[in-house]
Amino acid sequence: MAIRRYHYARDVDEALSLLLAYEGRGALLAGGVDLARGPGTDVEGLIDITAAGLGGISRDAKKGLVIGATVTLEEIRTSREARDYLGGFLTEVMRHVATLPLRCMATLGGAVVSAHPWADIPTALIALGAEVAWRNEEREERAPLEELYRRPFRAIFRRAVLTEVRLPAWGGAFAFEKVSRNAGDIALLNCACGLGVKDGKVAWARVAVGATPYRAARLTGVEELLVGESPSAELLAEAGRKAAAEAKVGDDLRASAEWRRAVIPALVRRALERAAREVKGDA
Amino acid sequence: MMKVYFELNGEQKYVEIKPGERLLDLLRRLGMKSVKEGCRTGECGSCTVLLDGRPVRSCLTFAAKAKGHRITTLEGLGSPEDLHPLQEAFLETGAIQCGFCTPGMILVAYHLLSHNPDPTPEEVREAISGNLCRCTGYAKIVDAVLLAAERKRKGDWR
Amino acid sequence: MKVVGKSVRKVDGIPLATGQPVFTLDVDLPGAAVGKVLRSPYAHAEIVRIDTKKAEELPGVLCILHHGNVPRTPYTTAGQGWPEPSPYDTFLFDKKVRFVGDRVAAVAAISEEIADEALRLIEVEYRELPAVLDPEEATAPGAPVIHDEEDARGIHDPQRNIAAAIDIRVGDIERGFSESDVVVETTCEFPYVQHVPLEPHCVVAYLDEEDRLVIRSATQVPFHVRRIVARALGLPLSRIRVVKPRIGGGFGTKQEIILEDVAAALALRVRRPVVMKYTRAEEFTSARTRHPMKVRVKLGAKKDGRIHAIEMDVLSNTGAYGTHSLTVLSNVGSKTLPLYNKAPHLWFHGKAVYTNLPVAGAYRGYGATQGYFALEVAIDELAEKLGMDPLELRLKNHIRAGESSPIFEKIGEGREGKAQVVKSCALAECIREGAKRIGWYEKRGKHLWDGPWVHGVGMAVAMQGSGITDIDMAAATVVMNEDGTFRLLVGATDLGTGSDTILAQIAAETLGVPVEAISVYSSDTDFTPFDTGAYASSTTYVSGGAVLRAAREVKRRILEVGAAILGDPPEDLDLAESYVVSKKTGKRVPLSEVGHRAMYVTDQKHIIATASFVAPESPPPFAAFFAEVAVDTETGIVRVVRFVGVADCGTPINPALAEGQLEGAIVQGIGHTLYEEMLISSRGGVRNPSLFDYRIPTAADVPEIEAVLIPTDEPTGPYGAKSIGEIGINGPAPAIANAIYDAVGVRLYRIPFTPERVLRALRTRS
Repeated sequence: MAIRRYHYARDVDEALSLLLAYEGRGALLAGGVDLARGPGTDVEGLIDITAAGLGGISRDAKKGLVIGATVTLEEIRTSREARDYLGGFLTEVMRHVATLPLRCMATLGGAVVSAHPWADIPTALIALGAEVAWRNEEREERAPLEELYRRPFRAIFRRAVLTEVRLPAWGGAFAFEKVSRNAGDIALLNCACGLGVKDGKVAWARVAVGATPYRAARLTGVEELLVGESPSAELLAEAGRKAAAEAKVGDDLRASAEWRRAVIPALVRRALERAAREVKGDA
Repeated sequence: MMKVYFELNGEQKYVEIKPGERLLDLLRRLGMKSVKEGCRTGECGSCTVLLDGRPVRSCLTFAAKAKGHRITTLEGLGSPEDLHPLQEAFLETGAIQCGFCTPGMILVAYHLLSHNPDPTPEEVREAISGNLCRCTGYAKIVDAVLLAAERKRKGDWR
Repeated sequence: MKVVGKSVRKVDGIPLATGQPVFTLDVDLPGAAVGKVLRSPYAHAEIVRIDTKKAEELPGVLCILHHGNVPRTPYTTAGQGWPEPSPYDTFLFDKKVRFVGDRVAAVAAISEEIADEALRLIEVEYRELPAVLDPEEATAPGAPVIHDEEDARGIHDPQRNIAAAIDIRVGDIERGFSESDVVVETTCEFPYVQHVPLEPHCVVAYLDEEDRLVIRSATQVPFHVRRIVARALGLPLSRIRVVKPRIGGGFGTKQEIILEDVAAALALRVRRPVVMKYTRAEEFTSARTRHPMKVRVKLGAKKDGRIHAIEMDVLSNTGAYGTHSLTVLSNVGSKTLPLYNKAPHLWFHGKAVYTNLPVAGAYRGYGATQGYFALEVAIDELAEKLGMDPLELRLKNHIRAGESSPIFEKIGEGREGKAQVVKSCALAECIREGAKRIGWYEKRGKHLWDGPWVHGVGMAVAMQGSGITDIDMAAATVVMNEDGTFRLLVGATDLGTGSDTILAQIAAETLGVPVEAISVYSSDTDFTPFDTGAYASSTTYVSGGAVLRAAREVKRRILEVGAAILGDPPEDLDLAESYVVSKKTGKRVPLSEVGHRAMYVTDQKHIIATASFVAPESPPPFAAFFAEVAVDTETGIVRVVRFVGVADCGTPINPALAEGQLEGAIVQGIGHTLYEEMLISSRGGVRNPSLFDYRIPTAADVPEIEAVLIPTDEPTGPYGAKSIGEIGINGPAPAIANAIYDAVGVRLYRIPFTPERVLRALRTRS
């Protein structure tokens, strides 16, 4: 990587116009972890956006959480806002991601844009129904992250600046599970599940399984199985089994499809059990 | 080339850097040899320094990012004539074998104790889990951090 | 004892604690060039043509070396004493490449970027050859011959790709098994695993003012580097100086000539300092690894538990070059079989074969580790078949002080061994202490559940050696300064182990001074006397033996001067608290006065002595290991909940440093037992050459390791010491395998015990 210029963007407009001016040979730099690890030989200009006004975590009017694109993972993990949101679900997720010094560098925006299939954050954000906002040449756009990942999002972000991630408020609880070989390792499998319970029946369910080794997908068949039923141990176990049947799994360096299919039932069941306990107030 | 100013171990620096230069290389050529290169991909932790008091991987940090910020390396914590209590603790418990992981390890321990004055052994292990050591098995490193924490609570700190 | 037996602070502690520039690459030499190596993309190929013209024309490129412009001399890269018991099958640059990552050419340039660009501009035409990628196929008829060069030497059977072989018999093995009431047979497998020192290999080579070649290297074997580089480059040995600064870990991968030969060759050509270092990826592909092995153990026993016959059959994969192939193979049996010394019938046999795969070399444990995995799992299986507690079976059969084993005589270091009698052994106490601490009787067979986790306990025992009998020599010089302090010059190599400190403690104890009065200078072939280097757990025992003798001689000379001052005969005098003291009258004189007088005043002589030591035996340290694991039966994840290692290393010269060796080795062993494996592609390349994909234990992965030392007094060791550097890594694989069996009733014979392997075994069983 032969970097010729390093720019400090003072705001999003400047970052965007620089990015477009480079015509594919420029890269936005927040934490820089992915960029520094795998730079790509055609990057000539770095555009540092950490002072472009994209920091900040806040609760919005509807009790959702709004996180700026350049907020670091460790900032999220240690923030009061994250602790208060969904009983600290995001705090729990961040604990599983990488290691402390990397979390002090890596940003939420970076995680969304790099979207590594083995990553933990996309799984959690998809389960949470996250919405992301970005600014391109024409306008500011928004979309649910799940839907964005079905579009050519890498091409979109080559010509846009991700500005924020918005997480809706949920009346219920979420839990995150991850299997990795050792501490700090990426997942062999992860899942994020959420439940809302009303009058003893599941009112809504969110189930996302990732690192399969594919990027997380919501398992809507499992969600439908749960809704309207009483969250008994048998139901949650059945949901786990259905997740194994519905999820798309494959082989990679770390685990085989066979192992993944064998473990998904337990992982999803455990996440649902924890979410159910928390909803009941037993967490 | 470009110029950046930043604070290194309490001293103002104004240096010329290449735009793509890594902080690891800049710090080493400024004489901070405690900052080590073990993998250059942010995995091993030997390059860890504090940026505005927070641990980061200098091998993955562009030098230009230092502009306007505070960088702390082990040289900024203590010296042979004036050891920091953490350095004393590491020496006392036998937490240093080859010493290659030590600078990053001590800086992360410093960060931990700065905001958690009474960590449990599990909290210490979690905090240093991003710094690999192949020599010690971590046992005496954890002992050293707990010992330093105890002394910090009694006022032996800086 | 005043100094020995105390956990004094490391003598090099302060520079390390404060980040002083004491490592190899911490010097900035003006005008230094950067050296880089072009590596083979093929597992097996001939270099048909190599064209460096374009690369040489790149501004800033200083020189390019390849097989066409360097001397061709076969040598071994193994850092072993002469005559190295490893084949001379390596060349500075060869016309052939034998593994993905093998050396093709080397460039010296004024910057790293230019060197990298030059590598890209070198044109190489390869003729790909069929490759051997499986050790089982290396000796098959028609297999490609990896070392077909005419000038290689010392290969056991090059046409069949056998680098080394061994066949040792005691008694009559067939009769032994037929006389046994119970027989078990098991095969355990070690894959490719690596040392992963935090500091990659690195070197600075330059010509000094006298046109001598100076090699500043992170090496465990400075004197072997000097000799082997002299041979490889055709230089007189006297023209080379090797200096070892502080090293960031070695574990055996730096007991090897990896970069020094090529850096020296470049430095001689360009006549500028040349700096070379391995990237972490090169550490994985092109450094050294443990020898992957399949070890089959067959045990026969009488129904009362006496082991009657042991067979051990080894297939060792030495990779593309045969460095350490014979000696690691030999150690699989020589360091394990004597442990169960009362079996009258033994057969130890095996071979080390070449493959077109990463090169295996020396790695802590050195064959014993692979041997103990198989042996200690087999012992547990035998115990089960006998209906005995495996702890009792081990107590019943292990070697004791005063006993010997025919293996000591039969297997040496690549040659015949030497009979020896074990003079110190606290293994029984180690076993009992470890059992108590882990809660052996409370936990074993209980299958305690904790959510989806089920717990189990398992054990293993091991011995190692202390140095290499009659072969490895160490020397030390003790120099008295005029102010009564001392300088200790040793060739011995501190790789972070703390040997400088240990040796200073031995000297200090002998001279009656605090350790602060000894300043140590080590591992500089120009200024420190000879030492074979840091391997075979030899530094405390062998180098310490030299230090002890040199210090005693200096003591004798001090007492002579003291006698002249005090007027009492030397026999009445002793050294204590930095004084010469009369045991009879209590009169005393400070060492500073003795030193000053001897240097300046009367009968002037510099009080200085050098002593050498070759050990006539290699007293084994012993250890017992106990693991408590928790197995998640739904995912296959195994966690180590507790680990106890109890060792008899003789007298621990510095208990904290000895514990540190035990703790570190145990965690390194947990690494290869649960997480570590180099994955090889179908083309012979390493698929996971990074710390992202090759996982070593972090602080959050391991419990507190209980490292306990049970001192014994080894009469042949300095102040009763033996060794501790390697033995710890032998325990985790078998202890954890046995613990998993206790927890979930499945036996695993192939490490690492990944969630994949464990879950599959659990599913198969049920």
